[in-house]
Order: sequence, then structure tokens, then C-alpha cells
Amino acid sequence: MLEVENINVFYGEAQALSDVSFQVGEGEIVTLVGSNGAGKTTVLNTISGLLTPKSGSIHLNGVRLDRLPAHRIVELGVVQIPEGRRLWPNMTVLENLELGAYIRQARAARKESLRWVFQLFPRLEERKYQLAGTLSGGEQQMLAIARGLLARPKLLMLDEPSLGLAPFLVREVFETIQEINRQGVTILLVEQNVHLALGIARRGYVLETGRIVLSGSGRELLENPHVQKAYLGL
Amino acid sequence: MTLNLAILFVSAVLVAGVYATMSYGLALIFGVMKVINLSHAGAIMLGAYVAYVLIVGLKMNPFIAAVVVVPPLFFLLGILLERVFVRPVRKAPPIASLLLLFGVWLMMQNIAYIIWTGEVRTITTPYTMMRFNLGAVPINVNRLAVFLVGVFTLLALHQFMTRTYLGKAIRATAQDSAAAKLAGINTDQIDMVAFGLGTALAGMAGALTALIYAFDPNFGGSYMLKSFCIVVLGGVESFLGVALGSLILALAETLSVLWIRAGLQDFVSFVILVLALLVMPGGLPELFQRRFAVRQR
Repeated sequence: MLEVENINVFYGEAQALSDVSFQVGEGEIVTLVGSNGAGKTTVLNTISGLLTPKSGSIHLNGVRLDRLPAHRIVELGVVQIPEGRRLWPNMTVLENLELGAYIRQARAARKESLRWVFQLFPRLEERKYQLAGTLSGGEQQMLAIARGLLARPKLLMLDEPSLGLAPFLVREVFETIQEINRQGVTILLVEQNVHLALGIARRGYVLETGRIVLSGSGRELLENPHVQKAYLGL
Repeated sequence: MTLNLAILFVSAVLVAGVYATMSYGLALIFGVMKVINLSHAGAIMLGAYVAYVLIVGLKMNPFIAAVVVVPPLFFLLGILLERVFVRPVRKAPPIASLLLLFGVWLMMQNIAYIIWTGEVRTITTPYTMMRFNLGAVPINVNRLAVFLVGVFTLLALHQFMTRTYLGKAIRATAQDSAAAKLAGINTDQIDMVAFGLGTALAGMAGALTALIYAFDPNFGGSYMLKSFCIVVLGGVESFLGVALGSLILALAETLSVLWIRAGLQDFVSFVILVLALLVMPGGLPELFQRRFAVRQR
């Protein structure tokens, strides 16, 4: 479904990604793990069109994504839920959700999508007239995911959804991600919480200083000695 | 004395309506694009001259000219300015757009000098001298109409910003433009609309002000200063803030004539601007939030 081939990305002179290649298949949960500063967010921002690769290509079902503006990429069904939620704090929960369905095809399905996310996150329905900035951290993460779903994504990319959440909430968020996947949405998950991410992913890639150094199924990577030593503290 | 105060108070409220209109234009552009539009003064001035041509030259009804004809023309002018002068330097440091737009203002002034010379102009309409009495306070019909138009415009904009998809997308872009892009909002298009709307408001405010005051090609500069002052007071994102800021500035200016010469009124907005920046850089909204936060604790 998503094919990333040999992308090289720079911030000015500094190279952030070197020859990064990976694939995400229809219906999969794929995770990209690595430590802080490895370039995980850069990968997602490049796919989303916020950054342009210097070389290499990104295709979604054969359609070339790199060099398209960000809003066109959303229209093609690739939606990112950015690190740190990035909600619109001075808008209500409902307004945040409505704007999640900004693109034309999502707007038509808005009512149905709202029912769907309120089913996934009943708490959001209770708070729908509250300002997003006044929600708790866990509720904000739920709203960020729900807003992404309102765009009716084919591929949902989540950047560090566990960041800053209490352990029981992290588990809840990960269960929701699996539930969304079961309902037919392909997932690309970026995480520092390597253990949990590899636990739910079918396949994973390990990113270190801008390069993919390892890949394999979730289980293989969990049992890999380098992964165990560097990320799992075993 | 109380009668004098009442008269001053009424005239302050009436002038606040048009202040709010022009400030909101400036706040909208800054909020969405983080661009300080120094050509705002030029748009206010050109708005006055376009109104002059329509009303004095073409004998159009003054309020149809200011409300129906001027805003769409200036919306298009704003879009043109954004495409030609702002978009090419969006990725450069902010000083680039600041200086370019300052240059645009100078160009507008000189164009006005070429076309209309430096002669001071006034627009006299059938309403100019009409007045009625509210109790003992005389009210000028023209000023009241200008005030009502300003207030109505802001209310209509508020509806637009809170009820339509485009309005919400503008607010979302102002609050977090990267998040707006990730939601599929074409922020380039939003920038263009914001600049167009901001310029339309400036043009309309200029046309309305020209119905009250005399103007020449230097007109607009002091109104831009007032707009800055109001935006600093009211914050960039709140209608209520802009309205309150306008009222505070108008009251301070008007009441100042009790103590200082009328010619020094611009000095008042300068002082308020400096004080506001020193004492409450976040404007009134921050002040309220701070109080509220204290009470919650």
C-alpha cells in the first residue's frame, strides 16, 4: 500500500534521513521504533508532505506522494496524528472533530464518522462542547486520534501516541489502535515505547540516526539481541 | 459636567465601532499568517479615496459605496498583495514581509499623491449634519450609522468564523497551522482569504472613516497605530477582546481632551501601546485568564 524508497531528507545542511526504505501493506499494523532523535517524526512529516525529500520516492497504491502539498496527501487517505496531539486548543471538541472532516469526501460522511468515534471514545461525546485545551492528557490523545479518523483515512500514522500518558491510559490507547485496525484502517505507528509497539505490530523497522538498521516481524524484533539490549533493557 | 461626560462617552462609543473594524483586519492577518501588515494603513487610505470617487464623483449612496462596493474591491486587492508580495517571502525571516509591506504602503501613498494630489478632501453627504437628541445628548446620524455598520460587520464576521467550514479553517490555521495542514486544510488558500478579508476590512474602515473626517494621502498611519494598540490590548484571536480594546482606546482618547490638547490624541494611543506591552504583553485575554487561574487555586 505505502512504499517508501530510498528517501534522503535534510534540514538545511544536516541530513536527517539516509536512504530510508520500507513498506506498509494493506491492513497491517507496522511500527517504526527508535530512540529520541532517530528521525521517526521526520519520516512521518515527509510522508505527510510537511517536508520534501531531496531524493527517493513515496508511493501510495502507485500514486506518487512526495512533492504533493500536504492537504492533497490527506485527500488521498494518508492521515497523521502528530506528536503532542496538536489540537486547536481554543475550539470545542466538536469543532476539532468537524474540522477533522474538512476534506470533501470526509465531509459527506461526517455524521456517520462522528457516531463511529463517539462509539470508540464515549468520553468525547460527554465533553463535546468543552474547549479542547481544557481536556486531560488522555482525553486530548483520544481527541487527536478521533480527529484523524474523521478524515476517513486509509492509512493512519500515529506519532508517539503514548507520550506523556499514565500506563493504564497507554494500554487503553493501544487497544483502541488495534480496534481501529480491525475495522479496516492500516496503521503506521511510531513509538519510543518499543515493547508495546512491537507487541501489537505485525512488522517493525528499527531506525537509528536516520537509517533503518533492522526489520522483521514484531516477534522477531522482540527476540533480537540488539533490540533487547538497546531498547528493552534486557 | 455630567452632561459633558455623557457627550464624550457617547462619541467614544461611536468611534469605537470603526476602530474595531480596522483592528480586526490587522488581527486576522497576523493571527493566521504571523505577518505584520504595514500596508494596512495604505488600504485604509485608499478605502477613503475610493469612497470619495464613488460618492462625490459617481454620486453613489455613501453607505452602499462603503459597505457593498468597497469591501469586495479591497478583498481582491488583498489577494493580489498576498500573491505578489507576501507569498514569495513566506519562508524568509519575518522582516522580509514587514519591509515589503512597508514599501507597498509607500507605493500606495505615492499613487494617491499622483492621482488625487496632496489636497485635503472631505466627503459631505446629506447625513453629515443631521442629528437628533437622545435625552440631552446630541447624536450625529452619520456617526451613528458608521458605528452600526462597524458593529454589524463584526457580528457577521463572528458568525462566519464560528459557523462555516471556511471560518473554522481560518481559526484552526491561526491556532496551529501545521495541524491544519495535517487535517487537509489548504493553508495557502486560507492565507489568501485571510489577507483578502483583512484588507477588505481596512478598506471598508477607511471608507467609513472618510464619511466623518477629512483625509489626504498620509491618512491611515495614525489609524494603523491605533489598530496595533487595540490588537495588543485585545489579543489577536478574540472578537470580544478587539471590541473591548477599541472601546478602551476610544474612551481614553476622547476623555483625554479634558486634560490635553485635542491634537495630542495620537499620543494617547502611543502611551497605551507602550504601557500595554510593558504591563500585559498578552493583552486583556491573558489578564482575564490570570485572574481566573488565581481564583481557581
